[in-house]
Amino acid sequence: MKETRAEADEQDRTLVERYLKGQRDAATGLVDRYHQRLFNVALRMLNNVQDAEDVTQTVFLNAFVKLRTFDPRYRFFSWIYRMTVNESLNALKRRKPTVTLEDEPDILAPGAPPDRGAEAEDRVGRALMGLRPDDRALVVLKHFVSFSYEEIAGVLEIPVETVKSRLFTARERLRLALGEGVR
Amino acid sequence: MLKQDQVELIHREIDGANTPEERAAFRSLVETNAEARVLEAGLRSVVQLFDRVGNREPPPHLRRAILDALPQPARASSRTTLQRAVDGMRLVTERMGEAIMSRKAVLIGSAAVAIVLVVAGIVTGWPPRGGESGTIGGVEAAARYHGRAMTEADVSLKNPEIQALFQNDQVLQLVRSDAFRQVMDNQSYRTLLASQAYRDIVANQAYQQAMASQAYQQLMGSQAFQTLQANQAYQSLIASQAFRDLQANSAYQSLMASQAYQQVAAGQAYQSLMASQAFRDLQANSAYRDVMASQAYRDIVASQAYQQAMASQAYQQVAASQAYQSLMASQAFRDLQASSAYRDIVANQAYRDIVAGQAFRTLQASEAFRTLAQSQALSQAFMREAMRTQN
Repeated sequence: MKETRAEADEQDRTLVERYLKGQRDAATGLVDRYHQRLFNVALRMLNNVQDAEDVTQTVFLNAFVKLRTFDPRYRFFSWIYRMTVNESLNALKRRKPTVTLEDEPDILAPGAPPDRGAEAEDRVGRALMGLRPDDRALVVLKHFVSFSYEEIAGVLEIPVETVKSRLFTARERLRLALGEGVR
Repeated sequence: MLKQDQVELIHREIDGANTPEERAAFRSLVETNAEARVLEAGLRSVVQLFDRVGNREPPPHLRRAILDALPQPARASSRTTLQRAVDGMRLVTERMGEAIMSRKAVLIGSAAVAIVLVVAGIVTGWPPRGGESGTIGGVEAAARYHGRAMTEADVSLKNPEIQALFQNDQVLQLVRSDAFRQVMDNQSYRTLLASQAYRDIVANQAYQQAMASQAYQQLMGSQAFQTLQANQAYQSLIASQAFRDLQANSAYQSLMASQAYQQVAAGQAYQSLMASQAFRDLQANSAYRDVMASQAYRDIVASQAYQQAMASQAYQQVAASQAYQSLMASQAFRDLQASSAYRDIVANQAYRDIVAGQAFRTLQASEAFRTLAQSQALSQAFMREAMRTQN
């Protein structure tokens, strides 16, 4: 049975508290809960497996170092997703401007699904990369993490209305970019 | 033309965010408006494409790599940050074949600590223990050859300093060896000894303190460290062009001198290292990436000797010492690293063969030797004198 948000928050809180009490297995629990999801956020933000791995590792490293300063009144998932988005944006800024997807034909190679799946993956990746990074984050959180508008607003620390207007605009761009071939 | 609120209604429907009333309004809209139907269909197709793509399984090593690089909970362990970084480095290198790890700042930084430390010692030979330096003219000896040119007359057994050197059987044996002859004939070695950077480093108080520290001497004398030095991968790396290029890289030098790096070495917060501009610059450096990706580097980090040396208390004491940190941050050390003579001699096999021995350390501690070694003629006179000396 799928975990509700309230249950997830409670589980996160318990693991954070246990980690701060010195229980190493709590760190494992948090990594197990989030590493796949954060990796996928970074992957969609960066369209590069290696960079996504780097971002995921950096986020966890930062998160555990800073965990002592984490305010338990806030939601852990908002905090760690925000770090992931920000770290992905930082990674994009560090990228050499001359590097393009065409320059890296194997960019999605490791673990990429075969045949039609690979083609769809490639198209989605390219379409997302056509968005502004800030807008890409909105689309990724909505469609690859299945967050509500309110949850996205909490992660990105922007008003809900801003989430909606920017998400709708970005999605319209994607519709036009992907065109008829989207079906 | 759809109105803005109609467009938003359709988007919210796609997201499943409409109220029952809004859903009714949406159904009415798409039944009566062709443009609305086209927009809805297009958006649903986009969403379906996203759903089809879905989420990807992370690479299988990622979870393990994350866990191994994580700091230990404070109450669970007393291991230092540096030690954790070393452990992380080992894991990182296990998967280095797949790609160069560009964001493993701390982990890589720890290896850099080790390499810099090693090279710092190699450059001048490990100074002898405190007691010896005074007897044969160590770094604190009077600069008796300064201000006038040393002559061949100074390079004879009449010179008490030379005499003292040759009374040491190990030194005598070394000076008579082919390896020693090669080093003495090496232009880079002479250039290095004549350089201002070398003189500055030898005179540097932090250098003298670091080298004279008990922790440093314990480290140098440890089996792990000596095994590491004899490690072929280590020697290959030190001799590689990529490593030499890396040392000449200003970002690398800046990183070594940075406050953030020193904090890491001292086992304190290493977050600032990752955020430092110097580290980011270094990551973009091709020589750095070559070193990190090299088989030699991977072999070193995977070696037991390296791991033991890095985990040793002596190493951590040295890395955390004020003297060592001052040395790393000193202009003299940066100048030395930037010197091509330094990089060339460190890459020289004969030099590396002899440098780890006590006899060479003794020689290097002698001001007379350091002075005569700058001249080929005086070096040859020195070796001739050694050949004439009775055991």
